[in-house]
Amino acid sequence: MSYGGYAGKYIRIDLSSGNIKVEKTPLELIRGYLGGSGFTARILWDEVGPEIEPFSEQNKIIFATGPVTGTLFPPSGRWMVATLSPLTNHWGEAHAGGSIGPELKYAGYDFIIVEGKAEKPVYLYIEDDLVKLRNANHLWGKDTHKTTDLICEENGDPDIKVACIGQAGEKLVKYACVINDYYRAAGRTGMGAVMGFKNLKAIAIRGSGDLKVAFPEKFMNFSQNCFERHAKGEWADYIKKTSRTYGTTGLMDAMNAIGRLPTKNHYDGYYQEIDKVGSEAIRKRFRIDHKSCFGCAIQCKYISRIKEGKYAGTQSEGPEYETVMAFTSNILNTDLTVAMRANYLCNIYGMDTISAGASIAFAMECYENGIISKSDTNGIELVWGDSEVSLKLVEMIANREGFGDLLAEGVREAAKKIGKAAEKYAIEVNGLEASGQDGRAHKSLGLTYAINVRGADHLRSLCIIDELGFRNIAKERFPQYDTDVICDLLDERYKGYMVADQEALFAICDSLIVCKYGVMWPPIYYWEDFAHLIYVLTGIEKYSDVEETMKLGERISHLRRMFNIRLGWSKINDSLHPRFTEEPMPSGPAKGEVVDLETMLREYYEVRDYDWETGFPKRSTLKKAGLEDVADELEKMGKLAK
Amino acid sequence: MQRKVLLIDVDKCTGCRICELACSYTHENVFNPLKSRMSIISWRREGIDIPMVCQQCDIPLCQDICPTGAISRDADTWAMVVDEKKCIGCRMCIMACPFGGISPHPEKHVVIKCDLCEGDPACVKYCPVGAIKYERLDKVGLARRRAGAERLSELISIVSKEVS
Repeated sequence: MSYGGYAGKYIRIDLSSGNIKVEKTPLELIRGYLGGSGFTARILWDEVGPEIEPFSEQNKIIFATGPVTGTLFPPSGRWMVATLSPLTNHWGEAHAGGSIGPELKYAGYDFIIVEGKAEKPVYLYIEDDLVKLRNANHLWGKDTHKTTDLICEENGDPDIKVACIGQAGEKLVKYACVINDYYRAAGRTGMGAVMGFKNLKAIAIRGSGDLKVAFPEKFMNFSQNCFERHAKGEWADYIKKTSRTYGTTGLMDAMNAIGRLPTKNHYDGYYQEIDKVGSEAIRKRFRIDHKSCFGCAIQCKYISRIKEGKYAGTQSEGPEYETVMAFTSNILNTDLTVAMRANYLCNIYGMDTISAGASIAFAMECYENGIISKSDTNGIELVWGDSEVSLKLVEMIANREGFGDLLAEGVREAAKKIGKAAEKYAIEVNGLEASGQDGRAHKSLGLTYAINVRGADHLRSLCIIDELGFRNIAKERFPQYDTDVICDLLDERYKGYMVADQEALFAICDSLIVCKYGVMWPPIYYWEDFAHLIYVLTGIEKYSDVEETMKLGERISHLRRMFNIRLGWSKINDSLHPRFTEEPMPSGPAKGEVVDLETMLREYYEVRDYDWETGFPKRSTLKKAGLEDVADELEKMGKLAK
Repeated sequence: MQRKVLLIDVDKCTGCRICELACSYTHENVFNPLKSRMSIISWRREGIDIPMVCQQCDIPLCQDICPTGAISRDADTWAMVVDEKKCIGCRMCIMACPFGGISPHPEKHVVIKCDLCEGDPACVKYCPVGAIKYERLDKVGLARRRAGAERLSELISIVSKEVS
């Protein structure tokens, strides 16, 4: 018995003892949790209990693919990393494109569980059946580009795919990321720091095996149909004019237009200097080539190069919208070169650009308000928008030098250490620095941040229907609600229902694993598509039923939250930073707005059936989702609603 | 029938490798880049991607060097095709080909190469950016010239806009 799309085996490696085991991917894991986010949620629930610390031998880090990874379905080049996050102390999960996910599948494995801690730096080398730990002493201290180059060189194969950490991961910067294929980052919640703690410098993979799907002809027909949806029809022109022309940076202008572009540490949502840092400026001045992740039909990647000035010759993939936002509008900087250079530095040091930029913005606002002074910052004057200071801070954070050591803790911890009500400027939710959105200008996003299992970011349930006003899609998907209301960005009503639906849908995306592009934006794929896809790909018949696929999305969403509940998460955590709920938006199209979280949260709790007082689930809810054993454990801890 | 050939626009290729997946599925019913007849050769750090595939040469060195006469030209498509029954897997053709157009099959003891999918190449159908075209041989030169001219015409339109 085997299912299509899966490689069929996984690796379990204990870095403390050096033991490596290869086992069959359990069929019940496949049937119940699909892949990626679902697999890792189940494994971390089973194996990483609430007593375990993020930086400890007992914590485990998992690198996982999904059944779509490496097949021809349009966005199929993704993989993900999950662990107990050292930044948030809760569920940590980060995804990346590139080509290492498919390579892992061709090598014969669906996922890798890494346990323990190596005595000395090592890297994991996988070449089909050969799975070995290798010495990485000579790689320690090297950046992600050099590490990748050296691993390819010493193994004599330029096509080895490498995922590694840079100096930031080694130094346990709390938001260090994992970089694969030189430029692709599993960016958020500090996955790289856990690798660093475990002395695992890199994973290098080469595979030569086959991947089969359950119903090849049906799968190919459906894939071709999906290719056509990207290439022809209503979305084709859209994709060409936006993704392929500007990548994600098109969002700079789009977000500013709706007053949702974080400006001055999320103080505002409208940036007056947009023309200097907008997508057209980026394209004209820096873009040199068009690129793509493995197996993708959207193709938003591009290469940029700084052509003149002090940093001339700096070349990198990206930057993405989030990075440009973090290093321009959010620190009041109009010099795009800084965003380009910061992107490059974060890539080579292996550090999340969003959290790095947010930490700098936090420091600048603290400095402006006299909470910190030159005596705290090693004499650096932290003036808004100072290009040199921003780049200097990136290096100081990555290497934990001086003041950078404090910012490397993330804004929540840094604010605690600073005291003096610095948390007022620490724009985070549940420990994760806010990404490039603002709920005041896009109300559903406020809820997205508040209930997100990994903290303040958009990628677990961002709704685009209201953001861009896709009225026809709103009518199709939510016929029971007034289209005008559901499409109104600034109206909280019905947003809880939409966010709950989107969260379950994204849980499927994150488990299959397909890119959010094509699902979030443009909204090409929906439940019917995934139900069909999962069936023709894996052969699991029950998922041909849309209801079952929806239940699967809900199961994964529940389980990730229960992982957090077991760690102490409750109703209080479903909240936002006061900047979003109490400080009215100062300017732009959303001027005067704040987030009324309760209206949306009530709807969300209604769908998920969580207890309004505690935020805990009922036994019946978990039973319905097929998680009765989870309910048993929570009951023992007194974390089940009556 | 007019002879047609694969025409690759290196500038357009983004390195997504969908062609490799479409090729391996079409020929082998599995997804495996090693079984693809076409490979994207990448310098990932620099961001350079170049699709490499058999050029179906007019003077095919692979055919000349093959000791068993396993490689011959298909009368309809003009593709050089391998007769797996005759191929002994000696890989002399791989040595002779200047472009890496032929590779060993990872399991069977034969070599594999592009056969133009009997005149309907899968890579062309699936390429999302139109970097691979299947063009009539007599149009290929002109097609490349047109691509070059398009870049010039863009430049001219920018200049004329600035002038006006």
